[in-house]
Amino acid sequence: MNADLLKLTQWLSPAFPVGGFAYSHGLEQAIDAGHLRDADSLRSWLLALLRLGAGRVDAALIGQAMAGRDEAELSDLARALAASRERLEETCAQGAAFARTVSALLPHPVAEAPLPVAVGCAARQLSLPAAQVAALYLHAFTANLVSAGVRFIPLGQTEGQQVLAALHGEIDAVAQDAVTRDPLSFGSAVPGADMAAMWHETMDVRLFKS
Amino acid sequence: MLDSSQIRMQRAAGRAEVAIAARGGRNALCRLHQSGSAKAFLPKVHTPVPEVVFLNTSGGVTGGDRIGYRLEVGAGAQVIATTQTAERAYQSSADVGEVTVELSVGEGGVLEWLPQETILFDHSAMTRRTTVDLAAGARFLMVETVVLGRAAMGEVIEDLAFFDLRQIRREGRPVLVEPLQIDAAALGLRDHPAVFGGAVAMSTLAYVAEEAEDVLARIGSLPESDEVAIAASAWEGRCVLRFLAGDAWPLRRALADVLNRIRGRALPRVWQM
Repeated sequence: MNADLLKLTQWLSPAFPVGGFAYSHGLEQAIDAGHLRDADSLRSWLLALLRLGAGRVDAALIGQAMAGRDEAELSDLARALAASRERLEETCAQGAAFARTVSALLPHPVAEAPLPVAVGCAARQLSLPAAQVAALYLHAFTANLVSAGVRFIPLGQTEGQQVLAALHGEIDAVAQDAVTRDPLSFGSAVPGADMAAMWHETMDVRLFKS
Repeated sequence: MLDSSQIRMQRAAGRAEVAIAARGGRNALCRLHQSGSAKAFLPKVHTPVPEVVFLNTSGGVTGGDRIGYRLEVGAGAQVIATTQTAERAYQSSADVGEVTVELSVGEGGVLEWLPQETILFDHSAMTRRTTVDLAAGARFLMVETVVLGRAAMGEVIEDLAFFDLRQIRREGRPVLVEPLQIDAAALGLRDHPAVFGGAVAMSTLAYVAEEAEDVLARIGSLPESDEVAIAASAWEGRCVLRFLAGDAWPLRRALADVLNRIRGRALPRVWQM
């Protein structure tokens, strides 16, 4: 069990070469628009994403992938759920890089797929509960966006870590709740964040790819 | 004797189905079925593209209602479809009202699904599933607008349960899936800029076609204002626009403006302002 947990921790660490640092999930635009100015507004934005946006949908996709649902079908669904051009690229490019690297570490190769599907498929080769995999995945997702916030709001490193720590409860709750559900049994309610991701495409100066 | 099955009978149920096929260079009605409180009719239009108008005669959807609309557009046919009035989700005591919309477009066909807005009343409970099946080369334009409460009456929503699953598939594979869920969790964060940012009216416009990415250029600069925020993106045969507004009326105007630029022809009469 510990050996598998260490594997998962490695896959989801910022050092794993999926290029997550290049994607902000629309956060860069929201910062530019003045919606994110301090630790509290970063925390609440990320809470909305976890509770009402990609968080619960991705957790559900991981759960379905681990439960053995057809990969091609799940990949199609994950792609169709992308809210904008850059959000599709965000999940697909990271998922492809993840699958390539993880395949070199596992007995059975993992097909390229949107990131939550690729992670869920790879995690079939571990003996870990799906809720744990989903929670660690959402933790990595959140930590990556906290890091973007720390650099560009900007916030102090300690403040950033406080934001992440304050979201642990939400991450766990979303993972527990969503991981056993069909991804189409609930919806999203973050049009504001989706629109930020769309406006990101036309920003004059952009440091992130999304 | 009053048992639960009799109470159920008081709920509205209805189903309207229309099929239109291209025959001899014309778009011909080949099937029309109506039952219960769901109706469909084809008003006289002076263009070759028929308009199909769906109507829920019960005036709205409440718990336990079952309303179904189905529209089949044959290969090479062209159809514009809309609804006669705004759909209203009324207060529900227990059960959920269910609306099913099934649309299909055959090879090379064109469907424009331009229903009027859905108005969600306080303590309403409604689930709507819109499923669109496109054959190869089919084109599909869709607008869905959801309004939280009757703003003109100053209604503030306390709680409701709305699940609106929109799925567009091409040759059986999903190409665009938008599940919107407005419930207590979303309402608790409704003023947050990542959620509705205080808006009470929201729309998604989607165009799915091979040339969908060219549509952004056709729209040009978005008619944004202080009242209506609009964002657009296009990728892989999809073009999606999202709108958020503090009031339904300026949103409708902005939508009509964008639709006119995309379509280049008059909107159905129910849309005309």
